[in-house]
Amino acid sequence: MAARAIYTVLVCAAALLLALASPSAGLSLDTVREFLTREEDTIVFSLIERARYPLNRPAYDPIHLGDGDGAGPGRRLNASFAELFIRESEAVQSKAGRYQSLQEIPFFAYRVPFTLAPPFNFTRELYPAAAFVNLNDAIWSMYFNELLPVLANNGDDGNYAVTVDSDLACLQVLSRRINYGRYVAEVKFRGDQQTYTSLIKAKDRDALMKLLTSEAQEDVVKRRVEKKAIVFGQSITSDGPIETSVSNSSQANFKVDPSVVYKLYDQWVIPLTKQVEVEYLLHRLD
Amino acid sequence: MDAAGGEQLSLAAVRDALVRLEDSVVFALLERARHPRNAPAYAPGCGGGRSLAEFFVREAEALNAKASFFHSIHASLLRLAPEISLTITIQEDVPFFPQDLPSPLFPTKSPPKVLHPLASMVTVNDAIWKMYFDELLPLLTVDGDDGNYAETVALDFACLQVMSRRIHIGKYVAEVKFKDAPQDYSPLIQAKDSNSLMDLLTFKAVEEKVKKRVEKKARTFGQNVNLEDNAGKQEGTAGDSECKVDPTVLSKLYDQWVMPLTKDVEVEYLLRRLD
Repeated sequence: MAARAIYTVLVCAAALLLALASPSAGLSLDTVREFLTREEDTIVFSLIERARYPLNRPAYDPIHLGDGDGAGPGRRLNASFAELFIRESEAVQSKAGRYQSLQEIPFFAYRVPFTLAPPFNFTRELYPAAAFVNLNDAIWSMYFNELLPVLANNGDDGNYAVTVDSDLACLQVLSRRINYGRYVAEVKFRGDQQTYTSLIKAKDRDALMKLLTSEAQEDVVKRRVEKKAIVFGQSITSDGPIETSVSNSSQANFKVDPSVVYKLYDQWVIPLTKQVEVEYLLHRLD
Repeated sequence: MDAAGGEQLSLAAVRDALVRLEDSVVFALLERARHPRNAPAYAPGCGGGRSLAEFFVREAEALNAKASFFHSIHASLLRLAPEISLTITIQEDVPFFPQDLPSPLFPTKSPPKVLHPLASMVTVNDAIWKMYFDELLPLLTVDGDDGNYAETVALDFACLQVMSRRIHIGKYVAEVKFKDAPQDYSPLIQAKDSNSLMDLLTFKAVEEKVKKRVEKKARTFGQNVNLEDNAGKQEGTAGDSECKVDPTVLSKLYDQWVMPLTKDVEVEYLLRRLD
């Protein structure tokens, strides 16, 4: 009898330990905030780099092969140079193992039978059934239709490959930041499972969105990223002063308009991230 | 106008291009420093094959070459739109692995010919590659492994590309300097006197200025910006420990490698200038 009681206690203890040991001791509200804060720098850098080139519109128009003026009908691909280049770039990255960890999600799907990357044991932090959630289509559309026209100056210098290369850098970081909402949601869910579970079961999107929103926090983020745009976008000369604040900045000298960066976060990055969070949560109990 | 009917290349324009690239170099290195060393990305692949880094650079360069080739065809089919300006683009994209690229490599458009035809033979990319992986990465990154190898090598390629671009602008620097004083350079070129050419090309004061400016940029772009900093904070009071990368590492990079390699390019270019 005693042996059986001890056995039961031991089994229960083991089960308890397994339940407590979270699959990823690394994910916390602090690490999530840290990651998002560091992403701000990357986003600002990549926008500054893109803003160095003019709009270069032909890179984004559907491609015409042949001119159909008697030499035969023109042939139109339904893809732009940008799309073709980005597809090919992502294919290379895919072969190199970029999308294995699930932290990044490509814009185009690939069949990659193997990867050349050395093996690595990634901790799976996301709930598997919800990990696929992403807003890449919306991000793609937002970037080319809304952001690029206000980011880059009108003009065409013919350097389409480097231009689209820098577009890809922007797309990748925006996608990673916005789809990181999955990790944010996971951390929040773990922090208050009861509340979230009942809202998820009720499929109450509005209530979830409200629970996830902190306007004070969002205001801090927006102002900080605007400041980063000023600090990183200033022209630095050997003897000149350093811009450190919003108030005494003269926008004419900046490589990227800080208000564009503020608006980017206000209208798209933050709202889209929260959308990812809500969608992720709605799948969290699948 | 020069003999070819194109615009004149000016030292100011070339210096401008170099200064703009500084920011890109600093950004690229800061981004790479975000990841630890990630040594497996540089180890030989299965069966002693290529490292992931080499695989990636080769593939990315092949893609860029395809893009340029495609564009030259496309542009000629469109009969180059009139609004594309044909001003001089001061840009040198020299591949790290040229032997496997589709040839011939057409330019994306026909730029004014400002460089000597033999300029395309000048490359110091082997030295840049070695310098980056053997010397710079150990200084730039912390030990460790986060498994993000693909992202790491993509960032490495960005660093290599931007440094290569900066260094090979030396061709334009040399051309401008030669045009300014052909009588000074020609006898040295004919004598193949590399050392004297190097002396003639070196301006210590300018180099010091560049070094200081790079360090300033590294400190400014590498700082952790938060909302509590006030307007009164002057440059230099941000402790270097608050920076993502030690700014002196980046100024050292310029001093020990970027500027000397640029001058190597200048000398190599000049030695062929009268051919």
